[in-house]
This record gives sequence, C-alpha cells and structure tokens, in this order.
Amino acid sequence: MMMESKTALGKMSNESFIVLAMCGVLIVLFMAASMFVPRFFDIHTIANQLAQQAELIILAIGVTFLLISGNFDLSVGGIVGLGAVLSAYFCQSQTGAGMELARGLGMPYGVSIVLTLLCCMGIGAINAFFVTRMRVASIIVTLGTMALARGIALIVTQGSQRNAGLPYVFKKFGEISFVGAINASVVLMVIFVIVALVVEKKTVFGRRTYYIGANPVAAKLSGIKVESHVSILYLMSSFLAGAVGIIMGSIHNAGISSLGEGFEFDALVIALLGGTSIMGGFGSVMCAVVGAFILGIMSTSLNMLGLSPDIQTIVKGAITLIAILSQRFALDRRNA
Amino acid sequence: MAGLVERDLADVFRTPEPQPFTVLKTDLRSRIDMGILGRFNWVTFKNIFVFLVLAMIVIVFSSVSLKFLNQANIINILRMAVPIMLVSCAATLIMISANIDLSVGSIVGLSGVMYCIMLQKGFGFFWSAVLTMGLGVVMGYINGLLVMRLRIVPVIATLVTLYLFRGIAWTLTPRQIGLIKGNLPEGINDFARAPVLFGLPWAFYTAVAVIVVMVVVQRKTILGKYSAAIGGNLVAAELSGINVVGTVWLLYILSGVLSSIGGIARASYLSMGDPMTGNLMELEVILAVLLGGTRFYGGEGSILKTIIGALIIMCVSVGMTVLWIPPYWQSFAKGVVLIGTLAIYTLITEKVEKVTCR
Repeated sequence: MMMESKTALGKMSNESFIVLAMCGVLIVLFMAASMFVPRFFDIHTIANQLAQQAELIILAIGVTFLLISGNFDLSVGGIVGLGAVLSAYFCQSQTGAGMELARGLGMPYGVSIVLTLLCCMGIGAINAFFVTRMRVASIIVTLGTMALARGIALIVTQGSQRNAGLPYVFKKFGEISFVGAINASVVLMVIFVIVALVVEKKTVFGRRTYYIGANPVAAKLSGIKVESHVSILYLMSSFLAGAVGIIMGSIHNAGISSLGEGFEFDALVIALLGGTSIMGGFGSVMCAVVGAFILGIMSTSLNMLGLSPDIQTIVKGAITLIAILSQRFALDRRNA
Repeated sequence: MAGLVERDLADVFRTPEPQPFTVLKTDLRSRIDMGILGRFNWVTFKNIFVFLVLAMIVIVFSSVSLKFLNQANIINILRMAVPIMLVSCAATLIMISANIDLSVGSIVGLSGVMYCIMLQKGFGFFWSAVLTMGLGVVMGYINGLLVMRLRIVPVIATLVTLYLFRGIAWTLTPRQIGLIKGNLPEGINDFARAPVLFGLPWAFYTAVAVIVVMVVVQRKTILGKYSAAIGGNLVAAELSGINVVGTVWLLYILSGVLSSIGGIARASYLSMGDPMTGNLMELEVILAVLLGGTRFYGGEGSILKTIIGALIIMCVSVGMTVLWIPPYWQSFAKGVVLIGTLAIYTLITEKVEKVTCR
C-alpha cells in the first residue's frame, strides 16, 4: 500500500509527483502526436478530444472517489445505458403510433429526469447495501448490478432503442454547442471536475475518503462512519452515471440500451492511468482527467494513422499495464 | 470497553478471521428441532443448498413447459454446458486461493478463433487442438506473471488481460465478416455435436473426465490443500513453506488450459470462430462458483458444487429459451440470480458462523 506523503520541506507529495509526471507524459504525447500525425494539431481535433472525453470524465469522478476509498464500481456502464433508456421511456408520449416501443409514460421532461436519477441511485443503493451491510466484495456486487442495470435497459427497449415520440426538449441539451464541438457536456464536465476537486482537497468529506482507503480499520476506530460514507460514495457514483446516461440519450436523441458499453472499464483505465491506486487511499480526480486525455490522444492518433479500432483495445490494455507498473516503479525509486 | 473495541475491530475487517479449511459437518449445538421435518441444521442446509436450487429450477421449468424435461433438451443443455463446466472447475480453485480470473471468457473467445484459423490453415484437428491448448498455457502464464510476479491486484490484472485477449481475437478476425468461417474441414462439428454415448458428444465426456480429475485434485492432492491454505491465510501458508507464487501461478495456467479446451468445444459446437464467444462469461463463471458455495474471500469451496451451479445457469438460460422468454431478459436474469445468490449465501453464512463459532 502506498504511503501518504512525507511532506518534508521542499519535497512535494507523492500524489502531486505522479500527477505532474503524468502531465509530462501527456504533454510529450501531445507534442509527438502534433508532430507525427498529420492534421492532429488543429482546433477541431482538440475540441473533438474534449467533447469525446467529457462524459467519460464525469463518470470517472465517481469511480475515482470509490477507488480512493478502496472500492470498485463496475456498474457505471450499465447505469449509463439505464439512464438513457429510462429518461426516454418516461417522457415518450403515451399515444405514440405504431409499435409498442413508440409509447412511453408521457411525463414532462423534468419529472422524467428526476425519476431516472432516482432509479439509477436505486442501483447505487443496491451496491451500497451489499458492500457495506452484507460485506460482499465490491467487484462481485457491482458486476451483478452491471448486468442488472443493463438488463433493465434491454427489457425496457426490448433489446434495441426508443427513439420515437420523444418531446422536443429531449434533444435540446445535446444540441447546445459553443465553439466547434465544445458542447454543454464539456461545460458540465468542467463544473463537476472543479466541484470534485474542491470536495476532495478542501472538505472533511474528501479527507475522510482518503483515510478510509488508506486504512479502514483506523478510520473506523477514529470515529468515521465508514459504512455510511461508502454508501454515499456509491450513491454519488450512480447519480453521476445516471446523469451521463441522460446526457448521452439527449445527444443521440434516443434511449439506446447499448449506450455506455465498456465504460466501466474505460473509467477504471483512465483513473489508473492518471495514477490513482487500486489499493485505495491514493489518487485524485485530476488523475482521471489527465488519464482521459492520454487515452484520448493515443486512440485519436492511432485512428488518424489508420489503425483498426480492434487494435485499440489491445493498446488500451497494454498502456494500462505499463502505466500501473511504471508508476509503482517511479514511486518505489522516489521513496527508497 | 475492551469488548466494544474488539467487536468494532471485527466489524471493520472485511474478511472474517480465517476459518478452518473445512466447515464442521455436524455440530450438535446447531440442530433445531423442526417436528415432522426432522432436525434442521444450517450447516447441512448450506451444504445441500445448491442441489435444492437445481431441483427447484428443474421442477419449476418442467411443470411450466413440457418441452423442458425431454431427452433432446437435456442433451442440449449438457452439450452447451461444456465450456462453462470446464472453465468453472479451474475458477473454483482460483477463487478458493482468494484470487480471481476475469479473463476466462476472452480466453474462450481467442482460443476458438485460433482453433478455427489453424484448421483453415490445414493443421489438422489434433495439432490445432494441441497448439490451442498451448496458447491457453501461454495466456494463463501471462495472467500468473502479472498477478504473482509483477504483483498487480488480480482483479485489475485479469480485467486488463480480458480486454487484451478479446482485442487480439477481434484483430485476428477479418473485419467485414467478423467471424472465422468457411473453408473449415469436414467434421469440425464431431467433437461437440456428434453423439457418442447416450446421445452426448465427445466434448461432454472430456468435460466429465476433467471434472473427475479436478475433484480428485482438489480432495486428494496437495494442490487442492495448498490452494485452500493460501486462501485461508496467505501469511500462514507462506510461513509454513508453501510455494505460494508457484501454486497460484499453476492455478492460473490450469485456468488458461481449461478455458482454451472450452473454446475449442464452443468453436466446434458453432462450427466457426466467433471472437465474441465467452463475452460476459466471467459473470456466469463467478455466478456458478458462488452458487456452489465457494467463499469469495477464499479458503473453502467445492468443485462438484460449482458444476451443479454451472448446470443451474445453463438450465435457466436454456429454460428461458424453451419458454419463449425473449433473449433480452437474459442479462437481467443473470444479474438478479447473482445478487440473490449473494444475499442468500451471506445470510446462511451468518447463521452458520453464529452456530459454529460460538
């Protein structure tokens, strides 16, 4: 397990060290991509980068907090699909013509958003209940709820998507755009990241998360309510995932059941790439942001160089392994 | 005061204190008189729980549909259960040693693709199978290397290899078709479809043989004892001279080999190499292992009961098809069964611990 910082004078903490190192990697990657990949250094490409990573980063905020507290959340991908599908189902008009998939519950959009978020937090509550009360390993529970959430999304859409009879406001959010491809979800992402950073660094809640991850026994004995804290983190993570689902549904103007497939892995990968520890007690939301852009630049430049998307799965896996190993190596050298 | 702190400490530890490797079979104090039903015993109930579930599911499905309990359907269930039975054998041992292998589904997929590619290249059935199993050894070796030598947490290491192996399988298949098919030799179906005895194919008897061997390995050899010891208490196992690294590494290699045999069986059943076979299989395998009563934190478990768990999963998924429940209900059903199993076993285990650890 990684130690908290030895803050001797003039020596920065391990966490800042890792974040800075990964920022360095990011800059080097960016320069290399700009030099070697034709048409990479372009405002459109960079704006696209931001837009593509926005949803993933919002998702990774919750996952990172849980990782810091020493728990996993693999259910986020399924919850994204659930959020998109339910937000469409609740507000579809009741009198849609034709197939059954065109008819929904006909609620106002605002109500359907609130209900969707509540349903998604219900999945989070299942996670929290099993992890904190039943003491089941978080990976197993969240693997189960991933299948559960995705399964509900599939049932509601009968295995495909709900895109007919949606109100006009449904796609409103996805249509807002500022400069080029920078859309509302990027703005939302920036807001969420800033809030998360403040919570993480400046509030008691954030510090307690670190203590729980670093040593749950000590945290418990020093009076932190570990169970309720972890439960809140799970609810928060599922809330963010549900929000991402609603955003992505709005962008696609449909409730597609397969939205967010593989997001649980991607969120985990970018958190780990940025230097968040799997063992808990170490990491930051900033890590996830840096990691997201490292991954984004890699996959975009591979795309632009004409490699098939199949290879990118391999590249993603390989990069993650290298990142985990090299970060541990660097920290060992530094602390030796 | 001291008592309070002690209880709090025990509360906090996720892993309960190391249990003896075998649960006490009979404990006089644990019996509750239930009148006509005889003596009810939580330990016995935990031991026979998985059999009860299988019996219940078979009864429910066969009373709802006449098509469930006929010969063709049973043969079909057993034929389709071959990969998951093979994979969950090794997965049980890995989970008993308190590790996990999430990459099994991808190994199944990649092995099937490799097997078909080698058949297309004209290697012949025997050498293709041998080379594919060799590939399985390599993949298991990689998992073991990442977990035991490079010391990456098993969950992350095998999650990464899950995507790595799946990516390789996708890369090997031509993009336009997305499958390896056509140009395959005659008789590719023989292994997993052609009836040999009682209408069941060779693949099934291979799986049965593997299960028998693995049950013997778990019960009678030091590999089984060592894995239980490692899962029960890692430090104690290390201090008593067990080669922990080697043992767990061997278990990962075993898992790789058995998964690749499962991949061969599946490719032979489908008569093509589909890179998506075994997708989400890790979920099914974990489900089978947990249904069989293996503790996720390691230390105890039984391969035979895992196999019953695997049969439960196959009965449910085939039964749903027989009852014309649409395929998009499958994911939901799996999730519900997994969560339900976790809940029931946690409750039973609490009762058992209350009885035996007093």
